[in-house]
Amino acid sequence: MNDFQNIKVIACFLLFAIVFRATAVASEIDPPFKSSSYFDYDCDLCSCSTGSGSFGFGTLNNSNFIGLRYINQSFESRNGVFSNSPVSKETFNTYQLWAQIPVSNKFYVTANLPYQDLNRTFQGDSETINGIGDASVIAWFKLPFYKKDSNFEMKDMEREVSGHSLQFGLGIKLPTGNFEEALADNVNPGFQVGTGSFDGIFSLGYNFGVDKIGVNTILTYYLKGENKNEYQFGNQFSYSAKVYSVFSGERYAVMPFLGLSGDVYNKIKQYNETLSNTEGDIVNTSIGAEVPYKKCILGFSYTLPVSQDLFGGNVKSKNRLSVYLNYAL
Amino acid sequence: MKILKLSFALLLCAIISSCSNDDSGEDLTGQTGELIIKFDNGVGDQDFIFGTTYTKSNNESYQLETLKYLISNITLTDSEGNVYTYPYNDNIFIISEANANNAGEIYVTLNDVDAADYTEISFGIGIDQDRFALGADGQGDFLTTAEEEGMLWSWATGYRFTRLDGTYSSDIATDEALNIHMGSVGTAIDNYREVTLTLPNTVLVREDSSPQIHIVADIALLFDGNTSVSFDEGYSQVHVDETTTGVIANNAMEMFSVHHIHND
Repeated sequence: MNDFQNIKVIACFLLFAIVFRATAVASEIDPPFKSSSYFDYDCDLCSCSTGSGSFGFGTLNNSNFIGLRYINQSFESRNGVFSNSPVSKETFNTYQLWAQIPVSNKFYVTANLPYQDLNRTFQGDSETINGIGDASVIAWFKLPFYKKDSNFEMKDMEREVSGHSLQFGLGIKLPTGNFEEALADNVNPGFQVGTGSFDGIFSLGYNFGVDKIGVNTILTYYLKGENKNEYQFGNQFSYSAKVYSVFSGERYAVMPFLGLSGDVYNKIKQYNETLSNTEGDIVNTSIGAEVPYKKCILGFSYTLPVSQDLFGGNVKSKNRLSVYLNYAL
Repeated sequence: MKILKLSFALLLCAIISSCSNDDSGEDLTGQTGELIIKFDNGVGDQDFIFGTTYTKSNNESYQLETLKYLISNITLTDSEGNVYTYPYNDNIFIISEANANNAGEIYVTLNDVDAADYTEISFGIGIDQDRFALGADGQGDFLTTAEEEGMLWSWATGYRFTRLDGTYSSDIATDEALNIHMGSVGTAIDNYREVTLTLPNTVLVREDSSPQIHIVADIALLFDGNTSVSFDEGYSQVHVDETTTGVIANNAMEMFSVHHIHND
């Protein structure tokens, strides 16, 4: 690595530190209000699962990187048991340090460490919680496929965007974020920076890429553990498919993509009993692009739900916006 | 490569160990805790709001400015079939929509409830004959409270179990007075009713927790429950008549359902 590259790495970290600091200051206002009367479901679709498969674990061309990702999500939740019960609005800001780090030719690791800044407004009152969220680490085994007639040299080059490949991931989500039992009971929904549990992550990905076009698909299953409050979020199945193309200019390229993703959640368990109306599913479409420039990749995506039935219809996912800046390793 | 295998093994261990769960039986003898019962009045799938016009059967509509009812004799049944009864003298409550919080819920807080895993709740609507037989002096402070809340006719006649005041409109009436004052009439008519509701999840009453039972009362069922009544045909003024109070009392039994519970 030459000096110039070193400077860029340092610059990336500095940027991360600045954003981190800014959010920490911004969230010191707004004392939490007592919200014991509200409807009371919670889920982990909102803040805690921002490292989930439906968001994607990496970049379009499955390259190695370290970067910073910002995710903004909006939700509306009904705070009561009636159809005309008042609605609260939740905005979740997530700042993630994320990376895909090569271990060997066939193995790599993805990791992400989120910082959560969650805001909720209800009937004029505002509540904010923030802090380090749940980190996750996934170890991947990559199985590339070769054309039968491909020559020997091609095989050894391991070019990322040159054909079909499968990825098998096995990972763990750690309870690095704080789970507050009071919030679980009183505040809707998933208004938590962490789930308090160790979760297993099992993932299967299929990528296909040629010169101008590529497809990324990934299926992920989350086996949720029980936390110390005997609270256990429902197991979750996530899927995501993205189709992208590459438009190369003289100095840089643009890679626009269209995506379809979704999550299916099982019921939440507390004290070994399932809680009704805590299951759900959602299907999203997304549009976005990545712009690689030298060693950096700038990416963004805009996601809108096309169908959803979350928590008995009491929670509505609005849109989400994601922006990331990665440095290729 | 070795490190990788090792980390995979560690990962599996972590996943497996995080899924294990062994509940040790806890000794709850002598332990008591708080239990909150939230009453939430609605009309169908709508939250009840004073002054809102609600439609019912027979092309009639109504709006209310008073909505109160009496709840008494709360008992809880645990998973082993044991029945806990809240202390008799305190076991009577006026549920008044006027006292609701901004989410429209009326809180009844039971203190020093025996710690147990409860699966069922029962309560009475109104005042039973045994309590009435204690006489005016035997009612304690509740007599004054009920008087202040307008839930007492006179001592001889007894308590109003429900008090709904407002107006109604129909094909032939416009904004006529609506008063549903159902109760037992002395010892002559007994309109006290009891309901038993199964809890959707076990309520764990413990010293250090404050679980909640969220009960929805669908006011529409008071008029269109087991029996549909018509305001035009004698049900706009329900007071001491044996027939009309009896029908309203039976309909009141169907109003209540447990929507969900919370264990803190």
